[in-house]
Amino acid sequence: MIVGSKKRRITFRAARYVTLIVGATIMIIPFLYLFATSFKPQLYLFEIPPQFIPKHPTLSNYTDAWTSNSFGHYFANSVFVSLVSTVIAALLSAMMAYAFARFNFKGQNLMFWLLLVGLMVPGMMLLIPQYLLANQLHLINSLVGLILFYVATNLAFNTFLLRGFFEEIPWELEEAMIMDGAGPFRRFWKLILPLSRPALATVGIFTFLACWDEYVWALTIINDPDKRTLPIAISIFQGQHLTNWGLVFAASTIAIVPVIVVFALFQRQFIHGLSADALKG
Amino acid sequence: MLANVPHGPSKPSKAGFVPYLFLAPGFLLFLLTIIYPIFRALQISFYNWGVFPGSPTTFVGLHQYVREMHDPVFWRALENAAVYMVFTVPLQIVFGLSVAMLLVRKIPGRGLFRALFYIPVVTSWVVVSLLFKFLFSTDAGFVNWILHNLLHLSSHNIGWLDTRWPSMITIGILGVWKGVGWSMLIFLAALMGVPDSLTEAAAIDGAGPWRSFFSVTLPSIRLTLSFVTIMLVIGSLNVFTSAFIMTGGGPQQQTEVVLSYMYHQAFQFLDFGYGSALAFTLAIIVFAISFVQMRLFRGGVTRVVR
Amino acid sequence: MTDRKGSLRVKRSVAFLVVGSLVSMFGATYGANAAPAKKVTITFWTSYSTSETPTLEKTLIPAFEKANPNIIVKHVVFSHDDLYQKLLTSAMTNTLPDVVRSDLPWVPTFAQGKVFAQLDGKMAGFDKLAKTVYPGTLSTNYYGGHYYGLPLDTNTRVTFANMDAFAKAGITTVPKTFADMLADAPLLKAQGIYLYGDGGTGGWNVLPWIWSAGGAVTNATNTTAKGYINGAKTVSAIQFLTDLYKAGAIPDSMLGASGGMSTYDGVAKGNFAMTLDGPWMNPIWAGGYPNFHPVQALVPAGAGGSHSVVGGEDINVTAKSKNKPAAMAFVRFMLSKSAQVAMTKAGQLSVLSALTSQVTAIHPYYATFLKQLATAEARTPVPNYPKIDAIIGTQVAAAMSGKVTAQAAMDEAAAQIEPLLK
Repeated sequence: MIVGSKKRRITFRAARYVTLIVGATIMIIPFLYLFATSFKPQLYLFEIPPQFIPKHPTLSNYTDAWTSNSFGHYFANSVFVSLVSTVIAALLSAMMAYAFARFNFKGQNLMFWLLLVGLMVPGMMLLIPQYLLANQLHLINSLVGLILFYVATNLAFNTFLLRGFFEEIPWELEEAMIMDGAGPFRRFWKLILPLSRPALATVGIFTFLACWDEYVWALTIINDPDKRTLPIAISIFQGQHLTNWGLVFAASTIAIVPVIVVFALFQRQFIHGLSADALKG
Repeated sequence: MLANVPHGPSKPSKAGFVPYLFLAPGFLLFLLTIIYPIFRALQISFYNWGVFPGSPTTFVGLHQYVREMHDPVFWRALENAAVYMVFTVPLQIVFGLSVAMLLVRKIPGRGLFRALFYIPVVTSWVVVSLLFKFLFSTDAGFVNWILHNLLHLSSHNIGWLDTRWPSMITIGILGVWKGVGWSMLIFLAALMGVPDSLTEAAAIDGAGPWRSFFSVTLPSIRLTLSFVTIMLVIGSLNVFTSAFIMTGGGPQQQTEVVLSYMYHQAFQFLDFGYGSALAFTLAIIVFAISFVQMRLFRGGVTRVVR
Repeated sequence: MTDRKGSLRVKRSVAFLVVGSLVSMFGATYGANAAPAKKVTITFWTSYSTSETPTLEKTLIPAFEKANPNIIVKHVVFSHDDLYQKLLTSAMTNTLPDVVRSDLPWVPTFAQGKVFAQLDGKMAGFDKLAKTVYPGTLSTNYYGGHYYGLPLDTNTRVTFANMDAFAKAGITTVPKTFADMLADAPLLKAQGIYLYGDGGTGGWNVLPWIWSAGGAVTNATNTTAKGYINGAKTVSAIQFLTDLYKAGAIPDSMLGASGGMSTYDGVAKGNFAMTLDGPWMNPIWAGGYPNFHPVQALVPAGAGGSHSVVGGEDINVTAKSKNKPAAMAFVRFMLSKSAQVAMTKAGQLSVLSALTSQVTAIHPYYATFLKQLATAEARTPVPNYPKIDAIIGTQVAAAMSGKVTAQAAMDEAAAQIEPLLK
């Protein structure tokens, strides 16, 4: 049975590729459209039939987007905020996950349920209470305010993910370290974290993406243009009466590129990180 | 209780204060910035809340919730969110799992395909919602151009975003398109954990690919399946940006979802008390559904992936 | 650049000469009474577009700062919708800027919430300035017996017509009355052309028709809607729109179909023969459809004449501003002739009635708008206007789609609006 005919296997293989190619095409067409439009002058933005290769290509949308409103500066702010938030969120959630994975303690279930609640409430509902809190903490108009709340928002999901991973790390490894007199912090730092690199990469990418795209909170607490992040800079290109779509799409393309690069680079680790299998293999 | 009590025989039973040291920084931050605001939001929902400092705020008890029960737009918004959930969750699971099955084995171009399917996940909701609004616009849209001009599948240009159900379907299509990559990724990770020996054994026993899938693969990724389902259900009931940008709740509030309606009430009409009540009701519904699901799946979320 | 600064200085001396010892707008701007002793920074939040911002930042603010060495102006631009949300949330925490350029319907809300400062009797030169602007624009700042701002720029909606589309149906003139429109509709329909395209059924969209029919939303003092929004004349306007829609003269996009063609594309491509819109459409069409030359005309007249809706922005000082004298000096500057002329060149129609002829010299297409502004009216200046606008939008759409009669829809609107005026 397992042998099957060679012909059948080839047909199967072909079918697999056709399915994948059709699927991938559907996934990618909107981006080709976005990408093509970002090279079109206002005059030729939305033509029917659609032009995937612009007849009158121009780089002006890119130069305009990059030079207006210190776009480069906002880009740097976004990188800074996203990176710092990612590192802190990964560290704090790893610590929490370690506690959940390796210890029995009072209030464990309650804490777990609270984290779960945090995962379920719509962020929109918390906007005003969080904003009033940020004001009490004097975090309005500061990048620290952005980072603190980005970290908090991502803690619950990261903790769940990392906890599942940590539990798969054989206890024997830790026992060996205990024999050598290592305390829990040393074990966490020297054993758990290094072994969990793929999982940390995974939560890192999820967090980075979430921070990179975040818009409403950044709009709400940042007043100073010098402290703006990319999504706000892009929204300014949307006019009340006219939106220059070429400009918006060029700016969006600039914003997407780092994200795709990050994913392409870490894709393998990323998937491994989601899979406990990484350790056994 | 759920199956979330950490398992394994090897845990130190007497941990003392050590776990709390690990938990403290993250959990205190979480309590302060997430849990405390949840209680504030609950509190606001019991008031006719004056937005500006010094403007009158009056306690109205459960009035906002009673008002909600008699508000046809709220019910329609809830119905729309439910329809969105029913449309997007199964499709994301089916497509995500199918693609993951196709990409789990080593084949040429595997990394590229994974990246292509994942790109929609990593782009911002705002950008792709604007993009889809163009793609699905009636007269100059790419989709109608394909269906009508190119393939002649439709005799006229379809008004995708003109009436309630086509709009909800279009918003759902965006949701599925953007979400497939995410579930693909989680399923991929889980499938990599299914030992080849299991499927090989099934094949030797004479199971075809379908039977092998249903009797071996699916049961071994049961926890992942439940995790993905729960996360997708939470995400789909909380749908906001796509609906808000593509139809703005129109025409005549026909395509309002709970959070877009909440946004209109709070930020357009400054009725933050009612807005909070709407959001809180949604949160309770999401919580209840998740609770039931976890019961059914026996602890999916808490085990996350394996 | 130097030219402009030069002209500012000339203006200042002229003002001193003319107004003499009075606290005039220019005197107050540059006079010792307003100049803060130590250097202050005032923040100015706007939603100017990418084409308007350079005039403000590169020309006007430097000129102001040069004339007021102790004041630095920090301009922060947001998108239109973002600005409203920013004002709301910042008001909650007292982190507002000193000066705001706000959309007209926002002002009563922020006036009621004591977010904006009362200017009459508090700001030097207010009375003088109030007399120099179009009265209709000033009224948008009036709330509860006081003025909480001054108009900064204005606009209104007039007819934009695609004459090629009309010509296809054998029509050579833009419809001047409701009756003309009813007569043109079937001729255009026979050519597959919609007579009138619009983007919604809210106040901005339908008030010109209501007022032109002789109707109203409320009484003059904005205390009751009963008998106004559901009065016979208002209902006749809604019936007029309903008849046009039923006759296939209005596309679904007016009823909120998001997928439909925008009026921007529709009118330019000749799918719609006409629309009502603001002056900004001229440069927008020139950029996107260089071969389309829209013809402007007054809003078609009904039983009540030709009335449009006042649009534009106000300039407000925030109540909690710590630099009110400097903020007010900046407001006076923004309403000075030179600043107004500069912004008019950038596309922001001036609110100074004395500039009428200069304005049309800058852009001839402003002529129709100025004429229309003479009879244009403001949207109901009450804090609950956003809700009223939503109610009008829903009920008019319900009537047009034929779900209920025009009278029933407007009765419902009256019932819903009435408590919002209390």
